[in-house]
Amino acid sequence: QQADIRFGGLQQDTTLPVEVTSDSLSVDQASGAAVFTGNVTAKQGEMRLTAGTIRVEYAEGNQGIDKLIASDGVTLVSPTDAAEATEAVYTIASGNVVMTGNVLLTQGGAAISGERLTVNLTDGTGTMTGQVRTIFTPGGAP
Amino acid sequence: MMQADFHTRLIGWLKVILPLLALVILSTLFLVARTINPDDALPYADVDVEERLREPRMTAPTYAGLTSDGAALTISADEARPAAADGAGASASALNGLLETPDGGSTQLVAGAGRVDPAARQILLSDGVTVISSTGWTIVGDRLTADMDTTDIALPDPVTATGPAGVVTADTMRLTQDGTRNGAYLLVFNGTVKLIYQPVN
Repeated sequence: QQADIRFGGLQQDTTLPVEVTSDSLSVDQASGAAVFTGNVTAKQGEMRLTAGTIRVEYAEGNQGIDKLIASDGVTLVSPTDAAEATEAVYTIASGNVVMTGNVLLTQGGAAISGERLTVNLTDGTGTMTGQVRTIFTPGGAP
Repeated sequence: MMQADFHTRLIGWLKVILPLLALVILSTLFLVARTINPDDALPYADVDVEERLREPRMTAPTYAGLTSDGAALTISADEARPAAADGAGASASALNGLLETPDGGSTQLVAGAGRVDPAARQILLSDGVTVISSTGWTIVGDRLTADMDTTDIALPDPVTATGPAGVVTADTMRLTQDGTRNGAYLLVFNGTVKLIYQPVN
C-alpha cells in the first residue's frame, strides 16, 4: 500500500548551490564519470544527504549535474525529519529524491518504514510505498 | 626697347645664378642623404653572446617519452639549461606538456618552470601549474611531479579544479592508472574534497 506524507521540513529551494564534501573524488578519464567516496556529504540549503559513495551523473552535453546517485547507506536529514535507506537518487533540476531499500523515515515522534520513498523537495510532499509500516507513540507524536 | 633689354638682362643673370644654384645643391646633396648602414642587410641574432658562453642554453627543447603502460608524454619549453653542478637535473622555463594515454584521454600540462630529477626519474613542474584534462576538468596547483616511467602525475599541494560538475577544491590530485581496470585512467582528488555546484535553471 502507499502512504502520503507531508514532508514539510524538507521543502526547500532546489536552485540553492549544492555542496558535496568527501574524502576523495575520482574522475574516470575515458568516460568522465565522477564518484565521491569516503563519508560523502551533500548539502543544499538545510538539507543534508550523507552516504558512502555519491556518483555524479551529468546532464547532456556535460553541462552541469543531472543526478546525484548516493549508495552504501544513505541518510537524508532536514531540520525536522530524517530518512534512512540503502540507496538514493536526487535529481537536482526536478528536486525529486527517490530512496530505495528498507527506508526508515522519522518525523518528530512518528516513524514510517517501507521499501521506497519518493520525496519532492520543491513542494515538500512524499509517498512511501512497499510494506509501509507506521509506528508512532500515542501522545508522543507532534 | 626697354622691355626687350630687361628680358635679355634677366636671362643673362639667370644663366649665371641657376648653374651656381645647381652646383650648390649637388655639392650638399651627400650631406642630407640618409647614410646606408651596410650592416642592416645582415640579420644578426641579438642574443647576448657572453651570457650564452657563460651559461649554455638550449632554446625550444622538447622531451618525448613513452611510459611503461603506453602513455606518450611530450614536454616542450621555451628554454632549457643543462644539469647544474650540484646534481640538480636540467631545468627549463615556460613548459607545455601533453600526456596521451591509451584510453584515448589526453592531459595538457602548462607550467612556468620545470626541472628534471634524474634520480627519481621524475619531471618536477612548478611556478603555477595548470592541468587541462580531456574530461573537461581544468586543475590549477602550485607544483606537479610527472613520472617518466609510469603514468603518474601528482599535484602534492592544494588544488582548485573547475569542470562539468562545478568547482572542486582538494588537498592533492593524482592522475594514475586505475588499479582494478587496466587501461582505464583515474583523476583522483584526495584530502578534504569539496565540490560547489550552482544549479542553473
